[in-house]
Amino acid sequence: MSYREKIAWLSLIAMTVTFGPYFTIVAAGILPEEALPNLRQMGLYAVVAFVQMVILGVGHLYLRRQSPQEVRLPPDERDQAIMRRSTTYGYYILILGMIQVGCIMPFYSNGWKIVNTAIFMIVAAEMVRYGVVVFSYRRQS
Amino acid sequence: MESALTNRIRVLRFLNGEMSQAELGEHIGVTRQTIAAIEAGKYSPSLEAAFRIAQVFNVPLEEVFQWDATATR
Repeated sequence: MSYREKIAWLSLIAMTVTFGPYFTIVAAGILPEEALPNLRQMGLYAVVAFVQMVILGVGHLYLRRQSPQEVRLPPDERDQAIMRRSTTYGYYILILGMIQVGCIMPFYSNGWKIVNTAIFMIVAAEMVRYGVVVFSYRRQS
Repeated sequence: MESALTNRIRVLRFLNGEMSQAELGEHIGVTRQTIAAIEAGKYSPSLEAAFRIAQVFNVPLEEVFQWDATATR
């Protein structure tokens, strides 16, 4: 498995183990709906973002030590093709999300619902992007 | 789906002292995984990379890559 594929796996796992519980808590309605700024909601998001940064930081350090020579190599033409493809798929999801939160939701929703939908769509776009990277490396395309 | 592009990289590596995929990759500036993908017909290299591969083996391009116009794309 190449270094770049390992990084994509790491990013996918980090997002799943942090934003998975975050959106489960949000969807379950465990946090009370308060007016902005909802400090409990902000606190939960801060914890999730911090944990994700720690996982990514430690993971990157570990993977760099595992394959130091691969880290220095610039992406070759296939790596670049995979990055282009994955960014295109992620971009479509992101655009859909931004239309939803910027043009549709303001007419019937407000506050943290819009914020959380925006976060969800950003996370979804990133997961699709890294998912396409992993899929492309797995099938060698 | 059958690829229209086939190659003889595995054979040429064997004929050149069992050159490894990593060695070939180093010569043309790509990773071992990319050489494996090209060899398996899963990834079609750029024209420049194809010429570089042919140059490493010191053979014309058509001895490395073959294109079948009738194959399903």
